[in-house]
Amino acid sequence: MLCEPMKKLLFNLLSQALVFIMLWSCSEKQDFSQFDDLSVTPTIASSILYLESDEAFINTLSAFGLFYSKTIAFEAFSEQYVAKRVLEGKIIYEFENTTSKRLNITVEFMDEGGNVLDTESFDIEPGTTNAQITETTYGPGGKSLDILTNTNSLRIIGNNLSDATSVSSASEPKVIMRSAAEFLFRLK
Amino acid sequence: MRIGQLFLFATFFGVASLWSQNKQLLYDFNEIPQSLSVNPGVKTLQKWHAGVPLISGLAFQAGTSGVTVNDLFADDGIDFTTKVRERLLDAMSRKDDFSTTSQIEGFNVGFRGRNRPDDYYSFGMYGETDIITYWPKDLAILAFEGNGGDNIGRSFNLGDLSVRGEMVNVFHFGINRKVSNTLTVGARAKIYSSIFQFESTGNSGSFSTTQGQDNIYTNTIVADMELRTSGVEGIADILEEDTGTTQKDITSLFTKRVLLGGNLGLGLDAGFTYQLNPQTTITGSILDVGFIYNSKDVKNYTLKGSVTNEGLTIILPEDINDLGNDLWQDLIDEIEESLPYEENESGYISFRPVKAYGSIRYDFGQGGSSNEDCACPINIDGGQNSDFYRNSVGGQLFFMKRPRGIQAALTGFYQKRLGRAMSLKTTYTIDKYSLTNIGLGLNFQAGPVNFYILGDNLLGYKNIADSHYASLQFGFNIISWNDN
Repeated sequence: MLCEPMKKLLFNLLSQALVFIMLWSCSEKQDFSQFDDLSVTPTIASSILYLESDEAFINTLSAFGLFYSKTIAFEAFSEQYVAKRVLEGKIIYEFENTTSKRLNITVEFMDEGGNVLDTESFDIEPGTTNAQITETTYGPGGKSLDILTNTNSLRIIGNNLSDATSVSSASEPKVIMRSAAEFLFRLK
Repeated sequence: MRIGQLFLFATFFGVASLWSQNKQLLYDFNEIPQSLSVNPGVKTLQKWHAGVPLISGLAFQAGTSGVTVNDLFADDGIDFTTKVRERLLDAMSRKDDFSTTSQIEGFNVGFRGRNRPDDYYSFGMYGETDIITYWPKDLAILAFEGNGGDNIGRSFNLGDLSVRGEMVNVFHFGINRKVSNTLTVGARAKIYSSIFQFESTGNSGSFSTTQGQDNIYTNTIVADMELRTSGVEGIADILEEDTGTTQKDITSLFTKRVLLGGNLGLGLDAGFTYQLNPQTTITGSILDVGFIYNSKDVKNYTLKGSVTNEGLTIILPEDINDLGNDLWQDLIDEIEESLPYEENESGYISFRPVKAYGSIRYDFGQGGSSNEDCACPINIDGGQNSDFYRNSVGGQLFFMKRPRGIQAALTGFYQKRLGRAMSLKTTYTIDKYSLTNIGLGLNFQAGPVNFYILGDNLLGYKNIADSHYASLQFGFNIISWNDN
């Protein structure tokens, strides 16, 4: 059995130790301002436009070369959240042409007023079964990002650079344009 | 926009304050009246007790099973983004969680029945905040890296989002009965008055970007997600108002909800203490078996459906007459139709996080036959302390229901009683937060004044910022022992 003075001493020691641990615990120096240095820059990828036309349709409408022209609303890049955060990126175009004709597909980037901001033009040789791939970069080292952030619509123009009568021997001859974007964004 | 803010708030709050609910130091520390709160069937010692209002029971606990504050914010010269990538994104899994629980006792009173001295009645009120968020690993990687580059072909699990939180005021009344010299049982009824509650658990779905069938990429989202909230909109509305009465309005709203003006619920605690032999005792309790019916100030957000997208598609000649503007709007409409984001105000039931304790204790070192100089188990009938031992050793188990399963902890303890004045308890606990959790509790009695302080994971205090777990409980009571 402990005597009273010993109890008091033990109590004092333990309670002081406990309080010391609780109130005077150590901590390495922390620098919470580091959070400002956090860089979050994800790469976002998405398809943009798929265009397909069979050869019969091209023959039907391209007596004067032009077989397709359409302005399509496209506001993915000009949306404020995206436009403020995009850093750099690329648009990928893939073409296949199993028709008998040399074709040209042009993509015009247009602003809200219908002004053409930039033009991408692609000549596609006939019988291209392996995808013909072209990449256009934007941002540092590439075209201006302003082109994309001000784009509200795309005008797609298809031209037949050959005759309007020949028919490919391939089964289901057609021209295909695929396109996708991969862009780096700054979230933080 | 608001749903995003809520998620951000929930995640930040969870990350900033990391807690667990195990009160292994308080459990079966029957010299402290608040031990009734973790086992209504604990062996009671007092004739009556009254907690000093607002400071009779304060409990703050913090823990993280993953990254610590020090891991990220130590002033170590390492690039912060690199630390986030290596210590958060690469190291933590969806099983890691951050959770918080704090309790503040408003008042707590107990007294022994005049006609039934074997019964000890207690009642009171306390406020509790409980928040848990699991590390949303795939969503964090998606935000950090995106779906492009090396993540083409990767499926991001939307079910990684799991968060739950609430602030609730609890009114309780309990009865503790000594059934025999070997068995004490107890039960406590609770009325919950919710201040706010939110939960987004049981989510499922995925987001992936793969090589496309027609176009270059296919984006696919399958989602069954829901965030349910009650009481949050009212608080958010006041905070967003620019009227100059924000503090007054918030105080008024909280006061109303604290005093049964919020969403209400019912709950039950139960427990027992059984003496196997004069020196061996087993105990058990189950807490917060209850629910709250959330019908006021409810706002729920859902995202359910599936959509696959390869961008705009034009196939000639079929689409030659489609107007260009329609194509874009059709795409937007198709996505919104297939994957609708909706809001509703349907009431819902939220369940309290159920907790369970069990223990076995071996007492040794008999210290005397009267309770004149100790605050230890007493025999009410005879006023004798026939079973007073100065030392106890044993083990405890703790279980708690969490959104992704049962969280468990195992504790070994040693308790030393130094007469009436003081009792000490030390614990060693292993759980998902720490394998080196050593705790120390002190109960001190000076006349009728009782003070207790319980500190957990003391080794973590050498660098508190690097600790995976920290806990502190303390309080003051006025106690009248049975022989007084």
